[in-house]
Amino acid sequence: MTQRLHNLLCGLVLVAAFLASGTASAEDKIYIVTSLPDLADIAARIGGDLVTVESLAKGIEDPHGVPIKPSFVPKLNRAQVLIVMGLEYEHSWIPALVTESRNSRIIKGNVGYIDVSLKVTPKEIPTDLSRAKGELHPAGNPHFNLDPEAGRLIAQTIAEGLTLNFPQHRTTFEANLKTFLSQLDAKIREWEQMAKPLKGVKFISYHADFTYFADRFGMEYVGTIELKPGIEPTAAHLVELVQNMKTEGVKVVIREPHFSEKVPNQIAAQVNGQVVKLPIMVGGAPEVKTYFDLIEYNLRTLLKAAQAAGVAGKV
Amino acid sequence: MNVGSCALALLVVFALGLGPMAPVVFAQEKASELENLKKQMLQMEEQFRQLQRQIEKLEKQAAPPGAASQPQAADPALQKKIQEVESKADAALAATKKTFASQFNPSLSLAIDTIGSYKSNAQGFNPGDGTGTRDAGGRINNTRPAGADFNLRTAELFISADVDPFTRAYAVINASADANLGANDEATLSVEEAAIVTTRLPYNLTVRGGRFFADFGTLPHRHTHDLPFVDRPPSIDTFIGGESQTNGVEVSWLAPTPFYLRASGTVGNKLGADTRDGVTNDNSRPIRGLTYMGRLQTYFDINDDNNVELGGSIAEAPNAEDVTNSGRFERRLVGMDFKYRWYPLGYGVRQSLTVAGEILHDVGDADPINGGPRRDVFGNPVRQGAWGGYVYAEYRLSKQWRPGFRFDYFQLQSEPLLVTNLFSNQPASTLNATGHRTDNRTWSPYLTWFPSEFQRLRLQFNRSDRGNAQDANEVFLQWTVFLGSHAHGFSERE
Repeated sequence: MTQRLHNLLCGLVLVAAFLASGTASAEDKIYIVTSLPDLADIAARIGGDLVTVESLAKGIEDPHGVPIKPSFVPKLNRAQVLIVMGLEYEHSWIPALVTESRNSRIIKGNVGYIDVSLKVTPKEIPTDLSRAKGELHPAGNPHFNLDPEAGRLIAQTIAEGLTLNFPQHRTTFEANLKTFLSQLDAKIREWEQMAKPLKGVKFISYHADFTYFADRFGMEYVGTIELKPGIEPTAAHLVELVQNMKTEGVKVVIREPHFSEKVPNQIAAQVNGQVVKLPIMVGGAPEVKTYFDLIEYNLRTLLKAAQAAGVAGKV
Repeated sequence: MNVGSCALALLVVFALGLGPMAPVVFAQEKASELENLKKQMLQMEEQFRQLQRQIEKLEKQAAPPGAASQPQAADPALQKKIQEVESKADAALAATKKTFASQFNPSLSLAIDTIGSYKSNAQGFNPGDGTGTRDAGGRINNTRPAGADFNLRTAELFISADVDPFTRAYAVINASADANLGANDEATLSVEEAAIVTTRLPYNLTVRGGRFFADFGTLPHRHTHDLPFVDRPPSIDTFIGGESQTNGVEVSWLAPTPFYLRASGTVGNKLGADTRDGVTNDNSRPIRGLTYMGRLQTYFDINDDNNVELGGSIAEAPNAEDVTNSGRFERRLVGMDFKYRWYPLGYGVRQSLTVAGEILHDVGDADPINGGPRRDVFGNPVRQGAWGGYVYAEYRLSKQWRPGFRFDYFQLQSEPLLVTNLFSNQPASTLNATGHRTDNRTWSPYLTWFPSEFQRLRLQFNRSDRGNAQDANEVFLQWTVFLGSHAHGFSERE
């Protein structure tokens, strides 16, 4: 039996080595793994033809609760660079996976670990860290990707990170960054125009995903359906929320795709408002294939809902 | 103009400097102080911009073209204000540069796991070691009557940190379980795990040494409070002996394959936290007296929403020592495990299904009464095998509610007292050649409620049909909380 086990193990090692050599020779491009699809889209723009990019999470998932799938481990094991949002956005799944991947290059603090929150000024930094306040992000709200100005900072951080890892491609990364930023700038001007009727529009959402987005486009965040971050609502909280919405005249209820529609629908019915389903990541809706699509789709859909609810301003 | 832009640059530098500092400063006062500073600086910045615009305007009007423009002195009141802001910012920066002796303290978390239970029959499964008295049917009598019990099962302290660039270490100290076999009612303290793990070995290798829960199966190396049920499946509890604890060394390897494949090999004193078959950590033993373990596991995504995990484990003790009865025996334990998950990506956090199980085969010649290789009444050696395992299904209805059902089955290798010596007509202390195995079955519906990620209540009912002991009904209500980081490691993933 011991001999048989030994033979089996030897065989497996050989098969594995064979498979590994096969995959290694096929990989000429830089292999980048990102936690979320927005980062994959931007990294692919910066890396251009030099890179292959893969996002672990898909756009429709709850980014805080991505399952720790063992199939992520071989990807991280091969990754030359790992790009994450930071601000503890992925704290429940990325650290465990990185440890298991046995790839010291992508350990936090090492050169292959690119944290795109570094240039971002975080909002909603908790002043009182207690679990009584829910599942807090100690470093601040991490949903900055929905602010296109933060998109600029994300792209810059990725370009710098890639240059640090592959200095021989500096000129390519810089040129691609320049192109991306000029397109983004043009888009931002367009979006600001488009968002004018949304100024002052009051809304609630399920989780505090839209803080940066609302601040950028001048909307007013009135509350969340969740009692506290990550904590499901209690009946008393919902009563208070609806009361508050009635006083404030809130008619727009944003639902992120990974939350159930039941409670948002009930609330909207009570205030005679509109529920609008908005993705918080690339891929969160079938039409949203790029980072630019994400911002544009959200603005367009929200505008439609605000108009239907009769709260949109005039241009 | 130059002074203006210089001061503006200074302010921007401060603003940028303070931005990233902010997450470090948690205290409410500090944060609000910084917030005020930021606001002040933003106001100042705006004032500067206005000033700059005015200066530019003036320059255009006053300065003759080509003439070098003289730097103009800024408003003295404004300069004073800048100085004030600077000194405040310096003080705030200096305050963040404090050092503490505790800065390198490891991360801590504590799990408190408390259980209230009612048992119709307090005697557990008959361990088959001849203890206990029998009723007329040969079944073990209750040593304790039915009754209720509150049990602080664990107050488990988890400590971990990086040691240096090459290793990390962790320890799990069960600081306050209820006293065993109460000499007094003080809490007992035990080191469940304390291990050193390498972090930078080449070829995807990791070495772990110390006391740890050996890589055998899936649930055997979970801490009790991390199990999906109140109790460890009885088959696992019987065959492994509690958690798969061992004192030893483990080498694990991640295959560089496109799919997940992991292998590990472990050498340890013994397998299992409980003393089983008289094997203990106390004595040194010959090399063949150690326990050798191996495991191979893999995982496949069927598609985005469905996945399967498969594993096989082996533990072999070629010549283990029964210290209690001073004898030697051999044992091999083989396990296969599977886990199927339906976890729809869009709403997986709220709804999912897990079906998982393990099957174990235990074969050996331990004699729990006399020690040494077991012999039948004719003196022939007896090797006996036994099967055991469990399967469970759990459906997550929402983020908070998870009902589930577990079925467990295991056989006991020996039933010595039921065998009579043909010659003396006395109960033989060892098994005869025909063997007599007893089957034990447990049916367990359960319901788990998570008010939050860090708090859990679980109600479980066990109906146990015990082959050689009296059947029992048990009801448990478990209440568990987690303090501190409680970050899930890879092996504790759901």
